[in-house]
Amino acid sequence: MKRLAMTILRRLALLLAAGLIIVCFSFLQSQIHAASALPRVELNADNVGPRAIEELTSKTITRDYANAWKTMADALDNNRVDLLDGYFTGFAKEKLTQLIAQQKQSGVRIHYDDGAHKLDALFYSPSGDAMQLRDRAQLGIEVRDGGKVIHNEQGNVQYLVLMTPGADRWLVRDLVTTPEVKP
Amino acid sequence: MRTRLTALLVCFLFVALAQAELRPPAQATAGTPFSIVSSGAGEGTFYLIGPAQISKRKVNGGEISVQGDEVEQAGTYTAILCADQCTAVHFYVRPAQASRLSLLVHPSRVPVAAPNAISAVAFVFDRFHNLVLSPQKVDFKVVPPEGAAISQSKTSANGTAWIRLTSARKGGPAKVGASIGDVAEMRVVQQVASDACNLRIKAIPGPKGISVETDPVRDCSGNFVPDGTVVSFTKTDSSGKTTVDAPIKRGVARVEMAVSGPARISVASGVVNGNELSLGGAR
Repeated sequence: MKRLAMTILRRLALLLAAGLIIVCFSFLQSQIHAASALPRVELNADNVGPRAIEELTSKTITRDYANAWKTMADALDNNRVDLLDGYFTGFAKEKLTQLIAQQKQSGVRIHYDDGAHKLDALFYSPSGDAMQLRDRAQLGIEVRDGGKVIHNEQGNVQYLVLMTPGADRWLVRDLVTTPEVKP
Repeated sequence: MRTRLTALLVCFLFVALAQAELRPPAQATAGTPFSIVSSGAGEGTFYLIGPAQISKRKVNGGEISVQGDEVEQAGTYTAILCADQCTAVHFYVRPAQASRLSLLVHPSRVPVAAPNAISAVAFVFDRFHNLVLSPQKVDFKVVPPEGAAISQSKTSANGTAWIRLTSARKGGPAKVGASIGDVAEMRVVQQVASDACNLRIKAIPGPKGISVETDPVRDCSGNFVPDGTVVSFTKTDSSGKTTVDAPIKRGVARVEMAVSGPARISVASGVVNGNELSLGGAR
């Protein structure tokens, strides 16, 4: 009788351990997925001028813009200016650096829940050294002061983006919200 | 009775602030102070969140002053007032007056008389480095090394104006500039000779064979092709075909060639072919 009880207990413990392992594994997997997830970016280059966008450039722009948003969200979440180095330069980097400094100073934290970005290429310079795009972004924005959520909203935000080529990628040089941008 | 009244008043103020509404100005300009009117009364915390700005301070309802240095960046701002509950409102800060230009000119060296070879792109900014999105007249100007300056105006769209230019027929530094009001930016483009034109060679008997040299190498506009430009001499004789490359030195390219029997010597530089010499059979 005692042996039977011990066997049942042992099996229960094993089941519990297996369950715990499965739960931990799925949690870790979801965390890894969340950390590496890039926002969806679509690029429409039908109306760009004066230079047409080459196919490879089009792919690079969408990839690098998605990475820029991910690194910006991570940098703001973790108050880490160094994360901006990868995909930001010029005024965009200066503004975000200043924003992170103010986050540290005030204790307020901005969190972006990045949904999707629809990019329209507006201008691609004749020599290929600057591209201006309009981004219609679907974003969730949460503002926290300490642990308290003071503002939370989901919505569409329109940005005007200036990107310039770097050594092996396109960098965001200016990123500004705008009420309306003419095509 | 007095205590009850005080409690009622505090309650009223508390409820009033909790439901406070924020009224930002209809138009705000970067770097210009303004006020946000709050319908609530009593103490609360005011937050101003902008593209590069986070302000946080205690306020007592009524009118909340926003300083110019809190709104230097154009874009959408969120004003939040928190007491028991938080109320938020968005407003847009537009750029200040255009007062800076950023000018990209490409390439830095260009052959003469090349159609639409130079491009100039001007970005219009205000004094806080905000891109000025409203249309602005940008004057582009090209000052060639000789001759009169050429000007053309373009209206910016989304803060950007651009122009394409044909390089001048004479070599030398050309100034390419853009201006808006009193603000001007200038870049220098070096215009260099284009490909060789009318490339001609002559043969002179020398101690080791034939010395072949070009006439002074110029482009079609009469500019000397720069020293160092490679000229290829190709000899075809009974021993086969031989090509010798020689750089231009002081306007002329020169090689020594040994020739056996009748030979033909031709010359080329880049995509340009020159004349061909037929030699009768000197050593």
